[in-house]
Amino acid sequence: MFKNQEMEINMGPQHPSTHGVLRLKLKLDGEVVKECRPVIGYLHRGVEKICENKTFFQGQVWTDRMDYCSAVANNLGWAEAVEKLFGITVPRRARYIRTLLNELNRLASHLIWLATHAMDIGALTVFLYTFRDRESILDMFEAFCGARLTTTAFRIGGLREDMPPGFEKMVRDFLQTFPAAIEEYEALLTENRIWKKRTIGVAKLTAEQCIALGVTGPLLRAAGVPYDIRKAHPYAAYDEMDFEVPTRPEADTYARYLVRLEEMRQSVRIIYQCLDKMPEGPVMAKLPKVLKSEVCEVYHPTEAPKGEIGYYLVGEKGSTNPYRFHVRAPGFMNLQSLPAMVEGSLIADIIAAIGTLDVVLGEIDR
Amino acid sequence: MPQPTLLQSLVIALIQVILVVILIFVIVPLTIFAERKVLGHLQQRLGSTRIAGTLTGLSGFLNRWMWRMGKVPVLSYWRGLPGLAGDVLKMILKEDVRPAKADRFVFFIAPALSFVAAVVVFGAISFAPGTLFTLPAWVPLVGGLPVAGAIADINVGLLWILGFASVGVYGILLAGWASNSKYPLLGGLRSAAQIVSYEVPLTLSLLVPVLLSGSLSFGELSRRMAVETGYAAILPQMVGFLLYLTCGFAETNRTPFDMPEAENELVAGFHTEYSGMKFGFFYLAEYINMAVVSAIAAGFFLGGPWLLPFGLQGLWIPESVPFLGQPNVLFFLAKVVFLLFVYIWVRGTIPRYRYDQIMSVGWKYLIPLTLINLALAAGIRYFA
Repeated sequence: MFKNQEMEINMGPQHPSTHGVLRLKLKLDGEVVKECRPVIGYLHRGVEKICENKTFFQGQVWTDRMDYCSAVANNLGWAEAVEKLFGITVPRRARYIRTLLNELNRLASHLIWLATHAMDIGALTVFLYTFRDRESILDMFEAFCGARLTTTAFRIGGLREDMPPGFEKMVRDFLQTFPAAIEEYEALLTENRIWKKRTIGVAKLTAEQCIALGVTGPLLRAAGVPYDIRKAHPYAAYDEMDFEVPTRPEADTYARYLVRLEEMRQSVRIIYQCLDKMPEGPVMAKLPKVLKSEVCEVYHPTEAPKGEIGYYLVGEKGSTNPYRFHVRAPGFMNLQSLPAMVEGSLIADIIAAIGTLDVVLGEIDR
Repeated sequence: MPQPTLLQSLVIALIQVILVVILIFVIVPLTIFAERKVLGHLQQRLGSTRIAGTLTGLSGFLNRWMWRMGKVPVLSYWRGLPGLAGDVLKMILKEDVRPAKADRFVFFIAPALSFVAAVVVFGAISFAPGTLFTLPAWVPLVGGLPVAGAIADINVGLLWILGFASVGVYGILLAGWASNSKYPLLGGLRSAAQIVSYEVPLTLSLLVPVLLSGSLSFGELSRRMAVETGYAAILPQMVGFLLYLTCGFAETNRTPFDMPEAENELVAGFHTEYSGMKFGFFYLAEYINMAVVSAIAAGFFLGGPWLLPFGLQGLWIPESVPFLGQPNVLFFLAKVVFLLFVYIWVRGTIPRYRYDQIMSVGWKYLIPLTLINLALAAGIRYFA
């Protein structure tokens, strides 16, 4: 007469907290998640294929539209991968400005993460606080390259223009107030009993699991592995910067929260160093009018806010387009770990796990 | 004074009912408005600002002048208020969608149940002891008769209140079930479990004032709690107040216990499938419930229409003091408004518990604490 049945439920693609069009097929036993299968592809635009039909200069525009929360970091990866392909040396000043913008972008991306993560768990106010501060970062992007979100900040070989007048003061003013803002978020969350209860021990992913699943970025560092490409394989001007790679041993949501907050503080340090040590000189290398590639391939990994973003480019002899283009998107790799994180826990923990993964579907589906 | 006839007492009762309904429909929209504004200001934004913003005339001049000074214009605090009328209009005019497989009758009855259960509780709440005001003599039929400060200050008032508060959960549970959809079902089940669990500590915490005062009638209970308890009774009252307020948050499904409608997990919980004015009734019921919980807390713990809470009124301010020593409906309303503000304040500050954590907080902490508090109150009652 009575039978036990697992409830199958679709979370997404339209759902308030799957951060876009992520769809999860869940099997529930009451509130306990028995099985979780992410279904992706709702935002697929074929970025990789499109870029194979664009010149190297045009391709960068598409990298903005992958992880739209950290467009600058994506631009940096593309620009450096292409420069590696052609053996272009970027002027030192351009590398410094790139580092500066990249770190500002890391702040903006982490702020978005904190905002949505906290709001998913129910802390509404943090959302508005972080957006207030992200606004000033976007204003800086606007001042630098005219766009706020899809920046296309760099050019292959350097920068289109030097920093605009007043830009340095803008950044310094922001850096003056930003550490206090981090304190403000921490005051609302770090020692909050409910926040701790919702995050400590939730969505655990050990270092072994992280490595097996290809998880990188703050998730890996929160599992105790101090792997940061900025240190391990320095690019831009990171080899000249002094900063620390924060790690935590706990490998849970709370540890990732602390790691990302500490990363924001380190980013502030890096930006200060960029400004203080900014060299003089040109910002653009001498380039031929048309870039025509030889047959060769490069893989260039950079540390995007969400993890390792790697650009794999294959050149074709005499062609102005890449023959093959592939992105190793951190969000895509990190999302694989979602089932391992949540199976056996409660529905509410899925929300925390999606938040802590910091998924942006634009880069997962590409 | 001659005994009023049946017709006269019916008319008086009607007047009281109308007054209370007016009060509800003034407090609720203002709470919604205050939620937008207070939450806005907690979050460093302005809240709703559309409509009623004049740029001409005296108010417009003041507004523009204050903007120029770099300040938020005083008058803009009231901006957005007429938007509430728009909200109501929107709810009424919106298409009322019913899912094809929903249970027709139950789907219809659920919001009504929630709403009615919330409103009816006001019947037993006493806003002021005795006569609120006397009708002027020129009023036909009921001229010169007194209007009491409560619709029916019955001697089992507390039972009435708790009974109807429990009926409210049926609305949520039935809504979740009748929608014939998965998210509402989960929301409804959560809510049923949560509200049933929290009713235990809620009732236990309300037993403290009952025990200390020896009455179940709202008016009598709040009078005795305000002016007749001694110093010894302050501690159990304070603890009881905090426990009651915590349970009250859970009963009204507000942050940090807003599980049934935890929007980030269950879309909109039990009312996912509701639209139009049916949704509107759930929405109203939530805010009326907030007002009810606040009114009970104000009446039983914060001294009701007397000025000072926790029985300090009887100890510090003798009845001979004019105004401050006398009960006043304004004091009562001020306390209700303050508690409503606390609701919004909490929402702006803390995140949400997880479902299992809510249950463990309820059963493992709140119930033992309320029992200890009850034992304390019993001891005080026995020895004092």
